[in-house]
Amino acid sequence: MLFNSFSFALFLPVVFFIYWFIANRNLKIQNSFLLIASYYFYSCWDWRFLFLLMFSTLLDFYTGIKMSEADNQQRKRVWFLLSIIVNLGFLGFFKYYNFFTETFAEALSNLGLNVNPWVLNIILPVGISFYTFHGLSYVIDVYNNKITAERNFVDYAVFVSFFPLLVAGPIERATHLLPQIKRKRVFNYNQAVDGLRQILWGLFKKVVIADNCADYANLIFNNSSHYPGSVLLLGAIFFAFQIYGDFSGYSDIALGTARLFGIELLRNFSFPYFSRDIAEFWRRWHISLSSWFRDYLYIPLGGSKGGTWKKIRNTFIIFIVSGFWHGANWTFIAWGALNAIYFLPLMLTNRNRNNMEIVAQGRILPAPQELISMIITFGLTVLAWVFFRAENMEHALSYFSGIFSLSLLTVPKGSDFISTAIAPAPMFCLLAFFNIIEWIGRAQPYAIANIGTGWHRLLRWAFYSFIIVLMGVYMKTDESPFIYFQF
Amino acid sequence: MLFVVFAIPVYLVSVLLWGWRFPQSFKPNIKYVKGGYGYTFSRLKEIKQLDKGVDILFLGSSHAYRGFDPRNFPGMKTFNLGSNSQTPIQTDLLLQRYLDKVTPKMIIYEVFPNGFCIDGVESALDIISNDKNDIGSVIMAFKINDIPTYNTLIYSSWCEALHLYNSFSEPVRKQKFNDTYIRGGYVEKDLQQFSDTCCEPAKQWEFRREQIKAFEKTVTRIKTKKIELVLVYAPVTSSFYHSYINNQAFDSLMNTYNVSYYNFNELMHLNDSLDFYDKHHLNRDGVAAFNKELKHHLK
Repeated sequence: MLFNSFSFALFLPVVFFIYWFIANRNLKIQNSFLLIASYYFYSCWDWRFLFLLMFSTLLDFYTGIKMSEADNQQRKRVWFLLSIIVNLGFLGFFKYYNFFTETFAEALSNLGLNVNPWVLNIILPVGISFYTFHGLSYVIDVYNNKITAERNFVDYAVFVSFFPLLVAGPIERATHLLPQIKRKRVFNYNQAVDGLRQILWGLFKKVVIADNCADYANLIFNNSSHYPGSVLLLGAIFFAFQIYGDFSGYSDIALGTARLFGIELLRNFSFPYFSRDIAEFWRRWHISLSSWFRDYLYIPLGGSKGGTWKKIRNTFIIFIVSGFWHGANWTFIAWGALNAIYFLPLMLTNRNRNNMEIVAQGRILPAPQELISMIITFGLTVLAWVFFRAENMEHALSYFSGIFSLSLLTVPKGSDFISTAIAPAPMFCLLAFFNIIEWIGRAQPYAIANIGTGWHRLLRWAFYSFIIVLMGVYMKTDESPFIYFQF
Repeated sequence: MLFVVFAIPVYLVSVLLWGWRFPQSFKPNIKYVKGGYGYTFSRLKEIKQLDKGVDILFLGSSHAYRGFDPRNFPGMKTFNLGSNSQTPIQTDLLLQRYLDKVTPKMIIYEVFPNGFCIDGVESALDIISNDKNDIGSVIMAFKINDIPTYNTLIYSSWCEALHLYNSFSEPVRKQKFNDTYIRGGYVEKDLQQFSDTCCEPAKQWEFRREQIKAFEKTVTRIKTKKIELVLVYAPVTSSFYHSYINNQAFDSLMNTYNVSYYNFNELMHLNDSLDFYDKHHLNRDGVAAFNKELKHHLK
């Protein structure tokens, strides 16, 4: 059941109604209902993997209790390691088994030993990377005495499985979400309206921007050998908007949906393409994952403390692991490594915390220096996305060689995009509209959060209706899944 | 709630303005094409002007309106109500609208398995753009449940209400497609032969439940009127036909309705290159041979 599907459009109001008007008598019933709805939502993909989710939830819940009851540190550590090994074991098996066997066999064949890798036809359970990280953060926090172990299974299970965040995040922390689940929620009209507004903008980003950019990006990446460098560069830019529209659109829908149920989730995106350097970009892109790695990997490794060599090592580890988290492919590792290379000069010269505030705050337009910095940063991320989107390393490298050739100077022709659903002219108009709105709303939690709040109600409604009209006229009609579901 | 009341009329008016003022490239989800490929406009205009019933009514996809030539059925009054990619959902709608007007003695329904496997959007857009819309169009749109279909229906309804395309007329000859409209609903393509006769990859038909349901409704509708019904699977190139590994499943399905069913891909042999102009459309020579064979079976 996708957020951009008719089935979700039916599911959401039904759950909303029961949640606020039938199951609201006491918190226990409300949370139990939320858990049932979340499990139903998940089972719509593949009910068999529901058992895996339940097992993982049960394991972490039980481990938490056992760790808090342990009478010595050694016993606590045993339970902790058990949870970590089992969680990462499942993740490793479902996500990385074939990658490691094939890589191992390839390495052996390079040494002259030919073996047939025992490749399995493994289906990746949707959301496994996300709910595993939810569980891990909880177990690590309990182990480090940052939180006390949860003793109500339903509440804990809702924390792991709450349907808006179950399949693609944001990756929540027990310290943030569990107290909200344990607290009685009261329906707040303004919060619900805000949630609906965020859902509207998220849907626009997904069905209009991401899906139509995907049309262009897929066409260009799938036929990259036939296109000149200028078109290949456009393809990478389209992919940059596709992945941003897709994932931040998903996150907006998730946050908006959670808000309908009186729950605030962690923010996942903060206008990353308006960043002035890569460090700022990473503070604004997939924030819940970046902060997860920062808290549970980078800082335990020593963070930016220690000598230069240690700083470099830690930076590379966090970026490469982050890349590898996305998928079992060398392209993701290369994407992570390239971002580490981008990041290192800033960190080594202590300029990685230069741009902490919002760009051009209080002004309509950025200063020339800010504009140039944003364009350079965007350009660097676009180049890195080539690795992310390419089928394999060979494809990525040939794509780069295509971009960095004399054909980069040719002017793209309209006939290059003859098979796309939307012609280039309206596509560029849509991207311009999207970026203008994002720019106007860059100081807000999401772009249209405050747009029109001072206007007459009819004008504000006309603006929202206009977004709906754009969706109706330009949305792609096939329900395409979100990119991050595969992670 | 109030916002919904506000947004619905805004949306309806916006679709009109968008569809009316913008070029097609700026309105990908409003697919209003009057008199497009396939002459649906001319065909539906002609059927509205029929003053008496017909002997044979042909139904089906482009295989019907390009495969049954009224000139090959001398002495009989025929009408061809085929349309682009017509699926059972659209067939049923057209029959609901025109069956009582044409009162045929026999219906020859060209059944192409593909029509049972697709959503019917293309055909729905064709009919919505070229026929008068009624509650049947709305029900069809809900069955298909597709944004371009809804938008096109809204726009088409506005056009009818505001008489925007009343002066439209469709040329009999379309040079761009080498097509000529022949009275009685047939479309004749200039003689061409099919050159690309390479092998097709193996695949199978996957029938949709809603299409089978609509087909059953149509069969019942025809039987209730006591009209003789003949189901025909028109010839396609043998390379195309044999690329589907479950043709027998379709034959079995058609044989369950207790009406005459002829699969001409099994009953006659045509040459893929000489008798077709593409992989599943007969050329003029192929049509003549097919119609002759059909008449032979009808006797």
